[in-house]
Amino acid sequence: MLRNLLSGLALFVSAATASAYDIGTIIDRHVIPGYETLARRAVELDTAAQASCSADSHDLRAAYNAAFDAWVRVSHIRFGPSEDEDRAFALAFWPDTRGFTPRELATLIETEDPVIETQEEFSHVSIAARGFYAMEFLLYDPQFTAAEPEDYRCALVRAVARDIEANAEAILAGWQDGYAVVMLTAGENDTYRSREEAAQRFFGAVATGLQFTSDTRLGRPLGTFDRPRPNRAEARRSGRALRNVVLSLEGTRQLVRLLAEDSETVTDTLDAAYDRAFEQAKELEDDPVLEGVDDPQQRLKIEILQQNIDRIRELLGTSLGPLLGVGTGFNAMDGD
Amino acid sequence: MATRRGFLAGLMATGLTPKVSWADAGAPAYLAAAQLPDGAYNLFGLTDTGAEVFRLPLPDRGHAAAAHPTRPEAVAFARRPGTFAVVLDCAGGRIHATLEAPEGRHFYGHGAFSPGGDILFTPENDFENARGVIGMWDATAGYTRLGEFDSGGVGPHDTLLIPGTDVLAVANGGIETHPASGRAKLNIPMMQPNLSYVTIGGELLETVDLPRDYHKNSLRHLSVRADGLVAFAMQWQGDVTDSPALAGLHRRGGEMRFAMADAESHRRMQGYAGSVSFSDDGDRFAITSPRGGLVQVFSSDDAALVDTVESVDVCGVNAGPDGFLFTAGTGLISTPGMDLSRHAVAWDNHLVRIPSPVRA
Repeated sequence: MLRNLLSGLALFVSAATASAYDIGTIIDRHVIPGYETLARRAVELDTAAQASCSADSHDLRAAYNAAFDAWVRVSHIRFGPSEDEDRAFALAFWPDTRGFTPRELATLIETEDPVIETQEEFSHVSIAARGFYAMEFLLYDPQFTAAEPEDYRCALVRAVARDIEANAEAILAGWQDGYAVVMLTAGENDTYRSREEAAQRFFGAVATGLQFTSDTRLGRPLGTFDRPRPNRAEARRSGRALRNVVLSLEGTRQLVRLLAEDSETVTDTLDAAYDRAFEQAKELEDDPVLEGVDDPQQRLKIEILQQNIDRIRELLGTSLGPLLGVGTGFNAMDGD
Repeated sequence: MATRRGFLAGLMATGLTPKVSWADAGAPAYLAAAQLPDGAYNLFGLTDTGAEVFRLPLPDRGHAAAAHPTRPEAVAFARRPGTFAVVLDCAGGRIHATLEAPEGRHFYGHGAFSPGGDILFTPENDFENARGVIGMWDATAGYTRLGEFDSGGVGPHDTLLIPGTDVLAVANGGIETHPASGRAKLNIPMMQPNLSYVTIGGELLETVDLPRDYHKNSLRHLSVRADGLVAFAMQWQGDVTDSPALAGLHRRGGEMRFAMADAESHRRMQGYAGSVSFSDDGDRFAITSPRGGLVQVFSSDDAALVDTVESVDVCGVNAGPDGFLFTAGTGLISTPGMDLSRHAVAWDNHLVRIPSPVRA
């Protein structure tokens, strides 16, 4: 009797949790397509750089922006293959509070360092001189767009493109060749002891991604009211600051929807909060680099966008978190 | 520099006779900040069995506190990036003084008194320059700012005086933050935490870097034994499944020794040690993980795991009559063997021990 009751109960519990989300779906519809797009765009960037390394090449810049878009959409998935060998940092070293990127690039060019000749050697160069933010300096910053010697500058552009491609492909391969299985077989391996742990990992990715967008992508240029910092806006040279905010929100929203699957209340609540943030971002369309942080009225609009994002974060904790069994201990959530 | 050092030495030697003592505040053994059910924050005085002796309101969420060695004064720090700290008169139940971080600085939530209680040392962030400093405050004169010196690294989180010396151990967590970016970590790929030893005159005596593989391991909490052995706790900033040891031991001039449990127990810590303390006899030291609801106790001799204790959302730890005393976000106060009491509050990160009066 007791046994029947217990097994019935167990069935009920597993059925209840199984309906909430599906790790396989998240991987198939969010992770893999996101990294596939990134890898494809990175190949195209490499091809474009081989065809023309000129900083003002329309094709090269278009390929660069397309690949950067693809990166930002998956930039919240910061665990597993993206963290192996610091690949994500090598793709995206920002914020660069000490100005490492221009310094490292200048040193490479000045010394005509042959380290750029092979991918193997270049992969050991400081992450500050690699990835999308280094490429932005090379394509958009007057200090580098016409740097001499031209041969070396051109070869450096190609080396950075090749390295972006290598990292993008390595992350995708990492998922396809093993990490996806690790997550799918949660409960049967030591990395994920249960499906809940795997879901919680994705939840953490959303939370961290939103925090980065609010605190760093918006917080750095906002600075303080008395001391706004428009020069600290992300990727302002290529005019991408607001674009990256929007793309990052799109990326986490897709993952939130998959995590909240079947819970209409949670989906609706979070969707509405995301909608408000997107609408607010539209208000800023005429300020793609967020330079309005030092204009009181424009600043207010940016602050409201930040508040909209913080509202999503709050709702994430109160609505989606409990659904996924995410601990909300006073100290556990504090992190200090 | 020489002038300031001379001045400090004089100050340390003066040793004012205290008019009131911790006995006037009900002789608490510990201090701990907590959130009340209505959301307000209080600083509590607790007995060595976890019973409440007093509670005083705090203006905002606290982190750790510093207990004056003789006078019933507690300095409660706002959590980072807070710019204020309040000095509470625990006997009179009043705010005795308020510390305002100087322009361009914020506190990290920790502080330590000089042995005589004349000077308060506070780890601070010189955030425009991403430089760690230790601020000095004159506890004999209403906590006026005396000056500051380099902490020996970025993100100094915790500091303690090595007993019987004028040397501070400083946990330079390595993480760069800026108040404009909230609590965002700005330099994870480049971070380089260290344990530094700095004299109270500001002379950097020794910097112990973590090994290359550990550079994302934010070394940020300390405990020190009477003989100068330092135990430290770390928080891993990389992928949680790659987390190396979260605790270690060091003695000046020596090498770091890391303490790591078996894979199963280590995994449960989730790459995060929130607090660290030696036991009352110093033979063991404990680290807490609120994320894993787990305490790990290691031997101070060979850094081997000797015990684990489960407690949901546990974070505060200090030496206690039964080896250790723990506080948790659930309100529980416990020892390794027993639940002592449950309060209707959420205990904040740290449990601070009030120095016991020197016996005649």
